Amino acid sequence: MAGRDPRRRALGAPPPAAAGFLLALPLLLFLVALVLWPVSHLVAAATHGPGAFRVVLAAGRYRTALVNSLLLSAAAAGAAVLLSLVPAWVLARERFAGRQLLRAAMALPLSFSGVLVGFLMVVMLGRIGAIPELVRWLTGRQLLAGAAYTPAGLFVAYLYFEVPRAVLTLEAAFRRFPPELDAAARTLGASTRERLLRVRLPLLAPALRASLALTFSASMGSFGVALILSRRFTVAPVEIYTELTGFSNDAVAGALCLLLALATLAADRLLAQGGRRWRRAGSGGGLGGLRQAAASGTRS
Amino acid sequence: MSLPIHSPRLARRLGIAWTALVAAMLAAPVAVTIAGAFSRSEWYGLRSEGAPVQGTAALFTYVLGLWGHHLLRSAQIVAVVTPLALLLGAPAAYAFRRLPFPGSRWLEAAAVAPLAIPGIVLAVALIETAGGAPRFALLAAGHLVYTVPLVVRTVGNALHGHDPQLEDAARTLGAGRLAIVRRLVVPLLAPALVVSALLVLAVSWGEFNVSFLLATPRVQTFPAALYLTYTTNSFPVAAAATLVFLLPVVPVVAAIQALGGEELQRGAQP
Repeated sequence: MAGRDPRRRALGAPPPAAAGFLLALPLLLFLVALVLWPVSHLVAAATHGPGAFRVVLAAGRYRTALVNSLLLSAAAAGAAVLLSLVPAWVLARERFAGRQLLRAAMALPLSFSGVLVGFLMVVMLGRIGAIPELVRWLTGRQLLAGAAYTPAGLFVAYLYFEVPRAVLTLEAAFRRFPPELDAAARTLGASTRERLLRVRLPLLAPALRASLALTFSASMGSFGVALILSRRFTVAPVEIYTELTGFSNDAVAGALCLLLALATLAADRLLAQGGRRWRRAGSGGGLGGLRQAAASGTRS
Repeated sequence: MSLPIHSPRLARRLGIAWTALVAAMLAAPVAVTIAGAFSRSEWYGLRSEGAPVQGTAALFTYVLGLWGHHLLRSAQIVAVVTPLALLLGAPAAYAFRRLPFPGSRWLEAAAVAPLAIPGIVLAVALIETAGGAPRFALLAAGHLVYTVPLVVRTVGNALHGHDPQLEDAARTLGAGRLAIVRRLVVPLLAPALVVSALLVLAVSWGEFNVSFLLATPRVQTFPAALYLTYTTNSFPVAAAATLVFLLPVVPVVAAIQALGGEELQRGAQP
């Protein structure tokens, strides 16, 4: 269209592809200078000297931190998506007084940094947290005091920042869910179970994958929560921080960084692209493709 | 539509109750914290911090005295990052949708890729590369890496919903390129640009994962100050500092929600 407009070319304007490239050039330079170049330095730091990767992957603190991050993130992502299914559906499909207020309550924690979430956990479940104090006042018994600092407390804290992310991602997908298909299946005699397994789940699978990918990668990178809460249980981002600031061990910190980033990106790709069967061809994968994944599965 | 339970009305009620419960559990810690900032601080022995603080006004004065410098730094970062993110992201998003060039799809994917990379990883990468650079610039750079993708996506999605023939029509009617941008593209994109700016503001104001590592004792953002206050101060001081942090966040997040912004769950890293 625009490209074949002869008059504009005659006026001496550059061809559209060149104009587009010029508009995007600052972004290209920005990405090269502030992402590509630094990441190449990271690779150089990690591969410089005797095998930092071997040190990290050998049994010990570093590998434990990576495994802890993976397990905690996977468990919390799964639990958060399960907890979020009903709220997301209700916010997307039902109309009732107070809906906007509930939605706002779900959205507010999105802007909280990890340290703030950690602090909120201490407020509720610390040694003199609100919940143990309430339990003591009601029953006279000492219960849950200091629970925030246990691995279970860390898990609950991860749920705190993951549930809003899962709810809002799923809600956007559920809003586009076509109710006609479900009604059609019903008139064709499908039972509730059949409709759930053969209509709703296949249609919503990409959205479920997308929300899992999002919550998992948010948890893998989460730094502040564990910085405040974790005592003996260590996660990869905290390990990177102590390695760099405490021991200025650039090689090991770099190797940990690369492994953490690779694990996060790989899981994101796997989850987002595994649903290709249900997606229109051509939509991008990864976090960039989340919306398309969520949309194409539910639009058909 | 009903939930997969047999009685639709019961299902609806149970669903709303469950939603309200989840929302209440998310809101409860914030409510307790706000109450803490307005409780009688002498209960917590604030005198031990070396500042006899009595009453709410004195408490907030004390908190601002402690962290006012960090607050100012965060405001400066946000003020620098917001326009830069828009300038870097919006024209590129326009190019990706309207003036594609060889490799533009690849560049667009690369521009949003940082969202899937943990903040600490890029912070370490930045510090290894340019540890000697002025820290304020380094902090702004770190914030830009995580906010530009939001602008690219928000503006890109908005352009996706607009008819490209409008611009062709304007051109055939004799409008020059500058006039088209000024009188057609920018007004049409105004809502998306506002949402983008609010997203950048919210993410940059709350950013910790990149900032904490890049911060120096002299150049520190407010979320980094929150970490210090959580680990060193008493509960009322920490609660009051949290409230100071939340004050700008609440209206910004509400505005993003009201304007239909859908990227906040992607952009902010916990």
